[in-house]
Amino acid sequence: MKRRNKLLALGLCAALATASLSACGGGGGESSDGGNTGGGDAGGKLTVAIWDNGQQPGLQQILNDFTEATGIETQLQVIEWNSYWTLLEAGASGGDMPDVFWMHSNEAVRYMSNGILLDITDKVNASETLELDKFPEDLKNMYTYDGKIYALPKDMDTVAIWYNKDMFDEAGIPYPDGSWTWDDFYDIAKQLTKDDGSQFGFCANPSNEQDTWMNTVYTLGGCVLNEEGKSGFDDPKTVAAMEFFDKLVKETMPPASTMSETGTDVLFGSGKVAMISQGSWMVAAFKDNEYIAAHADVARLPKDPATGRSVSLYNGLGWSASAGTKNPEGAYKLIEWFASKEMQQKQAELGVTMAAYDGVSDQWVNDTDLFNLQPYLDAMDDVVFRPSTKSTLAWWNPMVEELKKPWNGEEDMATACANIAQIMNEKIAEEN
Amino acid sequence: MSTIKKGTSRERNEFLWGWLFILPTMIGLIILNIIPIFQTIYQSFFKTGDFGKGNIFVGADNYIRLFGDAEVWQSVINTFKYAIVEVPFSIAISLLLAVFLNRKMKGVSAYRTIFFLPMVAAPAAVAMVWRWLFNTEFGLLNHIVHNNIQWISDPRIAVFSIAVIGIWSIIGYNMVLFLAGLQEIPRDYYEAADIDGANGIKQFFNITVPLLSPTIFFVSITRIIGGLQVFDLIFMVMDKNNPALYKTQSIVYLFYQNSFVENNKGYGSTIVVLLIAIIMVITVFQMVAQKKWVYYN
Repeated sequence: MKRRNKLLALGLCAALATASLSACGGGGGESSDGGNTGGGDAGGKLTVAIWDNGQQPGLQQILNDFTEATGIETQLQVIEWNSYWTLLEAGASGGDMPDVFWMHSNEAVRYMSNGILLDITDKVNASETLELDKFPEDLKNMYTYDGKIYALPKDMDTVAIWYNKDMFDEAGIPYPDGSWTWDDFYDIAKQLTKDDGSQFGFCANPSNEQDTWMNTVYTLGGCVLNEEGKSGFDDPKTVAAMEFFDKLVKETMPPASTMSETGTDVLFGSGKVAMISQGSWMVAAFKDNEYIAAHADVARLPKDPATGRSVSLYNGLGWSASAGTKNPEGAYKLIEWFASKEMQQKQAELGVTMAAYDGVSDQWVNDTDLFNLQPYLDAMDDVVFRPSTKSTLAWWNPMVEELKKPWNGEEDMATACANIAQIMNEKIAEEN
Repeated sequence: MSTIKKGTSRERNEFLWGWLFILPTMIGLIILNIIPIFQTIYQSFFKTGDFGKGNIFVGADNYIRLFGDAEVWQSVINTFKYAIVEVPFSIAISLLLAVFLNRKMKGVSAYRTIFFLPMVAAPAAVAMVWRWLFNTEFGLLNHIVHNNIQWISDPRIAVFSIAVIGIWSIIGYNMVLFLAGLQEIPRDYYEAADIDGANGIKQFFNITVPLLSPTIFFVSITRIIGGLQVFDLIFMVMDKNNPALYKTQSIVYLFYQNSFVENNKGYGSTIVVLLIAIIMVITVFQMVAQKKWVYYN
C-alpha cells in the first residue's frame, strides 16, 4: 500500500511539474503580474509604467510637478523591456493594466486596433494647452488609428556615430565632421582595424537594426518597407546597401560571436572598437560610462556618395492610457501634462531624452559638455520613420534571425536578402 | 446494502475531514495547473488572435506545422543534449558530496551551506555571472586556460556550457535530498560490512546506493522533468544575436518565443503539448524501469 502511494505521489509530481509550465502558457497570465500593476484603484493613484531605468529620475520629477499642480497622486514603475510587453499583454487580456504607459511603434497598431488603449481624440481636440502642430507628423500618425488618437508623442530619437578620439589621434585621422560618405567611413574603419585583433574599426549586431544597418540601407537609396507596404529587401538598392554593410561586417568588425556575447556598447566602452552607431536613447547611459565620457564624441551619420544625403531613422514613444482605467480624466490629464511645452522642455533640460516638441531639444544638447550632441539634432534634417506594419514583430524578428547567417559567414548577403523578402511578404500578407 | 456502502459514521467522518484538509491544495492545483493544461491543449487547435480575442479554429494545422518545423525538432535535440549532460552529472556529483558530508567533521554545516548557496541565488543573477565567466574576450575562464574558446557562442559546445551552469546550480538541492535519504540508512549495515572487511567503495555500491535508491529515483524523475523544461539559463545567457542560439534553444525557449514574443499563442501551446507528451512518455518509462532497480524497505 505504501509503495502504491509513493508511486502515486511521484506520478503527481511529474504531472505538476509539467502543469506549472503550461500554466504560464495557456492561462492568459491571470497571475503573472503578481498584483504589482494594481490598477488605478489603489488609493486613487495613477500607476505609470515605463521600461527605461535611465529615464526614471527625470520623469519622477515631472510626475512630482504633476501631483503638485493637480493633486493627483502617481506611482512610477520601471519594468525591463522584455517583461514590459509580456506584462502589458497579460494585463490587456486579463484586464488589469497600468493606467498610463509608454507605447512603441512595434506594438502600437496591435494595441490600438484591439481597443486596448483609451481613445483620447475628443479630449485632445478640446484641449486648450496642447499644440499638436509642434509634433512631427509621422509620430502623430503612428499613434492614430482609424482617425482616432490613442497616444501623444513623448520623445524622439535619431542615430549618430560615436567615435573614440584617442584611436583617431593614434592613427592620425582627423575627427569626422559629418561631411564624410559611407565610402570614407569604410576606409577609416579599415584603417582603425588592427591585424592582431586588438582593435576594430566598427561593430554592429544584426539586432542593432534601427541604430546601424537600416540607416545605411535608407541612405544608400534602399528601403525596408516599400511604398506598397511590402518588403524592400528585393530592391536592388537595398541588396547593394546590405552587401556594402556585409563588407563592413567582414573587414572591420570583431567576430559575430564576440559582438553577440559582449554587446557593441560594451566593446566600445572598453576600448576594443573605434566607432559605433547608436541612437540618442543611449546618451544617458554613455554619460555615466567613465571611459566613454573621457574618450568619445559624436558625429553625424555618413552620406551617400552619389546623392549626398545622410538619412537617419527616427522613432518616438507615445504616452498612452488603458481603455479600462478607473480614472480616464486623470489619465488624460497626465498624458496632456507630458505633452505640454513646459514639460517637454523640462524633459530635455533634465537630459532625459530629446523632446518630441519642435525646438526645445536644444536644451538636451546643452545639458552636457561631455559630448557634442548636435549631430543628433542635425540628423532631423533628413529622417525616415522606423518601418512598421500592423504586426511588425512577426516579420521583424525573423528578419534579424536571417541576418545572423551572413554575419556568421554561413550564407551570402544576397541570399539572405532574398529570404528576408520572402518571409516578410508572407508575414505581411497574413496580417489582413 | 446501502448502509454497508456508506460505511460507519467514523469512516464517513474521516473521509470528510480528509477531503477538507486537501481541499486548499486541490483548489490551487485545479485552478493553476489542471484547468490550464486543458486550456493549453484546447488553444493548440486555434490560430489565436491578439489579446485572447478572435481565435480561429484551425483543426490540426498547428500540429501539421509542428511536425514539419525543423526548428522545433532541433530544439528537442538541444533539450535532450542538455538533459543528458545535466541529469547524470548533477546526480553523481551531488551523491558523492552528500556521502562525504554525511559524517562528523569540522565545519560540515559550513560546507553544506556553501554547496546549497547557488540554489538561493536568483537564477538571473547566476546566469549573468556565468555569462561573464564564459565570455570569450574578457572571461575569467579563458583567462585561466589562456585560450580563445567560444564557450557560449560555438554551436558545438554552447549547449554543454549551459549544462555546466545547470549542474552547478542544482547540486546543492540534490545534495540536501540525498543527505535526508542517507540519514535513514541504519549504521548497523556499515558496521557489519566493516567487520566483513568491505572497503568504502564496496560499501558505497552495495549499501548506500541500493538503500538510497528511492531517493535517487525521486531525484532523477524530478531532475529529468526539470532538465527538459530548461529555459531561464538559456534565456539569460544566450543573446538573440548569438550564432549558437539555434543549436541551444530549448523547447520551452521556443515556446516562449512563439507565445510571448511573436504573439502566436496557438502555436506556442502546440509546442508545449509536444513537451508534455515527451515528458509523460519518459516518466512512464521510468516508472516501469524503477521496478528493476529501486528497493523500498
